[in-house]
Amino acid sequence: MLSKVPLPQQFDRLIVTGGIVTSVFVILILTILLILKFVGFISYTEVFFWLISSGMIIGALASVFLKNIVHAVFSLLAPLLGIVAIYLFLGSEFLALAQLLIYGGGVVILLLFALMMTDVQDNPVVIDGSQKPVGFIIAVLIGFVLLYSIFTADIEIATPSSLSLADLGSNIFTQFLIPFLLLGILLDIALTGALLNGKKHKNLQSSDSDE
Amino acid sequence: MIPLENFLILSSILFCIGFYGVLSRKNAILILISVELMLAAVGINFVAFSSFYDTERYSGHIFALFVVAIAAAEVGLALGIIIRLFRERKTINIDEANELKW
Amino acid sequence: MGLFSVIGMQQAWLLTIVPIFGFLIVALFGKRIPRQGDWIIAAVGIFCLFASISIIADFQSFFHGHGFEPNGANVLSFEWINIPNYLLIEYSTFVDSITIVMLFVVSLVGLMVVIYSIGYMQGEVRYHWYFSLLAFFLAAMFTLVTTGNLLQLYLAWEAVGLGSYLLIGFYWEKQSAAEAAKKAFITTRIGDVGLLIGILLLWRASGTFDIQTIIGLAEASYFDSTYLTISMIFLFFGAVGKSAQFPLHVWLPDAMEGPTPVSALIHAATMVVAGVYLVSRMLPIYELIPVAQNLILIIGLITALLAATMGLVSQDIKRVLAYSTVSQLGYMFVALGVGSLSAAMFHLFTHAFFKALLFLGSGSVIHATHKQEISSLGALKNKMPITFLTFTIGALSLAGIPPLAGFWSKDEILLYTGEFGSVFYGLLLFAALLTAIYSTRLVIMIFFGKPKDSEAYEHAHESPKIMNIPLIILAIFATVSGFFIFPFVGQLFGFDDGFMGIVYLYHPHVFHLEFTTMITAISISLLGVLLGYFYWFYEDGRRANNASKWAPEIYNLFLNKYYIDNFYQAFINKFVLGLASIIAWFDDKIVNRSGIDGSAQILNYVGYRLKFLQTGKIPNYVLMMSVGILLFSFILLINY
Repeated sequence: MLSKVPLPQQFDRLIVTGGIVTSVFVILILTILLILKFVGFISYTEVFFWLISSGMIIGALASVFLKNIVHAVFSLLAPLLGIVAIYLFLGSEFLALAQLLIYGGGVVILLLFALMMTDVQDNPVVIDGSQKPVGFIIAVLIGFVLLYSIFTADIEIATPSSLSLADLGSNIFTQFLIPFLLLGILLDIALTGALLNGKKHKNLQSSDSDE
Repeated sequence: MIPLENFLILSSILFCIGFYGVLSRKNAILILISVELMLAAVGINFVAFSSFYDTERYSGHIFALFVVAIAAAEVGLALGIIIRLFRERKTINIDEANELKW
Repeated sequence: MGLFSVIGMQQAWLLTIVPIFGFLIVALFGKRIPRQGDWIIAAVGIFCLFASISIIADFQSFFHGHGFEPNGANVLSFEWINIPNYLLIEYSTFVDSITIVMLFVVSLVGLMVVIYSIGYMQGEVRYHWYFSLLAFFLAAMFTLVTTGNLLQLYLAWEAVGLGSYLLIGFYWEKQSAAEAAKKAFITTRIGDVGLLIGILLLWRASGTFDIQTIIGLAEASYFDSTYLTISMIFLFFGAVGKSAQFPLHVWLPDAMEGPTPVSALIHAATMVVAGVYLVSRMLPIYELIPVAQNLILIIGLITALLAATMGLVSQDIKRVLAYSTVSQLGYMFVALGVGSLSAAMFHLFTHAFFKALLFLGSGSVIHATHKQEISSLGALKNKMPITFLTFTIGALSLAGIPPLAGFWSKDEILLYTGEFGSVFYGLLLFAALLTAIYSTRLVIMIFFGKPKDSEAYEHAHESPKIMNIPLIILAIFATVSGFFIFPFVGQLFGFDDGFMGIVYLYHPHVFHLEFTTMITAISISLLGVLLGYFYWFYEDGRRANNASKWAPEIYNLFLNKYYIDNFYQAFINKFVLGLASIIAWFDDKIVNRSGIDGSAQILNYVGYRLKFLQTGKIPNYVLMMSVGILLFSFILLINY
């Protein structure tokens, strides 16, 4: 029975190869960033920012391109945890904490549970759709539009200000009270819906599914 | 001090990657992952603009909070649907769930 | 006459309102009223006769002190439609000497017909509907003759047409009756279009519908003369349609499909003379336009001759009478054409009585025998003595034998035509000869000789009293109404002069006996009667048969109504239906199949093709959506 469960070996390989590849990339990017720093284009803060950003982008690319579904889900952790750091850069501790708890702790675990309940064990390698090239072109074009508009925009120079938890709380419970309550109702409905959806209905059972 | 452009560039790149994932993947869970990426990118945008320009109300922060909450709800529901789909058809390949056509 | 003056000229509108109420009551509740409400209509008829006599008395006493102005007065008018600064139409009643003649004719004949119908229509289907229609017709007819306004006249004109249509088609279960009603309606409608055009042309130039105002403007040379001529000819075209003049006379013989009392009321005495009434009303204008007046004269003359020859050979009692009516209406138009309003109105007056009498008499015969063809009647003289006597009086009056009414009025027309031109005089005399011949033929074929259809003969019986009394009353009028021409008869009723001194255009005619014309007319009439007697009385009409074989072409020409009906039918078949089939083809193929069905089919096809875009695969939809997003973002990018 044990031999039918390949997960430990896979994890080993994942950790080893992932660790080596990531180390190589980190060293490479860090070198480039430091060179840029010493030339004078960017500051140390930016070096740190871009280091984290490149990690996020690599993770995102991996989660989109990898064939193995388990690897893809694990790769998603990189951008999701990177966002925590980005939020901290922007001075919002509460958001960073919430992001860490919900995404890192909740969503990824949920995804892994879903994987476990489907047929991933039998065939973890997925075949991608036929629109890959078209999708690539469209994604590149959208990226072009976004980047072009960012570079051509007249962005007013400003300094980010950090947001205290007290301010956030008072904003939510005064100005955004009704949306917040509606959000609570929405979550309630989503919870109920997920429950109902996941429950086995007798009349909807397919004939060959065993009880 | 990090300028605003950096955050915007980062979020654009993440958004495009997520977009590509949605278009190219067949597996429902992987599409969901890509959607999560896009939502994360949007969240970065919200918070960046908010903390640079909207220092009175921080509505971007609150919006990002809402996005996080809604994304959580969405993931829960979507996974429920995916499991249901798998239970009915023994697959989570969305190309095979194509009854809604001519 | 003061005794009658309860209802004056001011109350002429009562003649419209009361029959309308009678119509509504009987039409809506007739089935629940005892005797299906015929007594209500009879009461309406009595009221109308009373009111008409009362109005005549009021007219007489009013104008007695004013020296008989030829024009009447707008005795009542109120605002009907008012668009400030643009259009003002008044509802008005108008009473003058023409009106009172018409009032008397319509109310008397109307009452007689209503009473007669109680006997004639006994036990028929839709009894109450018949009587309510009579009331409706009377209301429309009274409105027509008391109006002072052309638009109101047109309204009433169409209303009498509608009443006529409904009554001709009264037995609509019968195919021929339904078709005759349709024919009458459509044929008169052709004329009505002309009338409407004429009225609108006059209104366009003058801005008013009021008849007396228009006459005054015309006399003051307000209108352009060509314009006036054209509009008056259009107006006359309406009269041609309604009064069944050539070339629109074809509907009247077919209209005999209706119940016989209806023929007496509508198609002999009242509605068909509406055209004569209209032209009489507008005669001051026609006097100004020699072209139009000559047209009236020629149309009248052609009609008088054509219809008389057709009446000579027709085999149906009612059709003979119908042709005779057409012919006599032609006489009236001849009189108007030569400019004698008095003679035309006088002939209208007498003709109404004797022709209604003839129709009611023929109705009596039909009621008794259930036969209409003169070839299956005969020898009814002893079976139906009262009908025989009254019918003969009517026929002799029609033939123009003195001292019966028809003689006096026809004599007047001949007199004025003689003054106008000898050719017309000669042709009119020939028509009078033909009239005398066919009148005699009709009497002989129905009442003398041997019974041709023994069953009908055995079945025949004298009609009930309720039918005979109107016959006798009308026979009296057919005898004495001619005497109104004498001044002393007029004075007897409180007027200053006889008929010619009451109804006139510019100046009263002085009546005097014109012996040359009179003797010619009498001799022509007697000759006609003798010829008829000679041809049809002896040897069961063998001479008449020989005469028909002598020149079969002419006989067939008469019998086939000069092929005018056939011509119209061919015209309709070839031209109208041909045009209609082209339009139908266009409508079916181009509009319907290509335009409507075609566009639907294109949409159907495109939809069928486009539905395959719905692959059901979510990535495809997302792809399309992202293409859209991309396009929009590019548009935004270009705009900023």
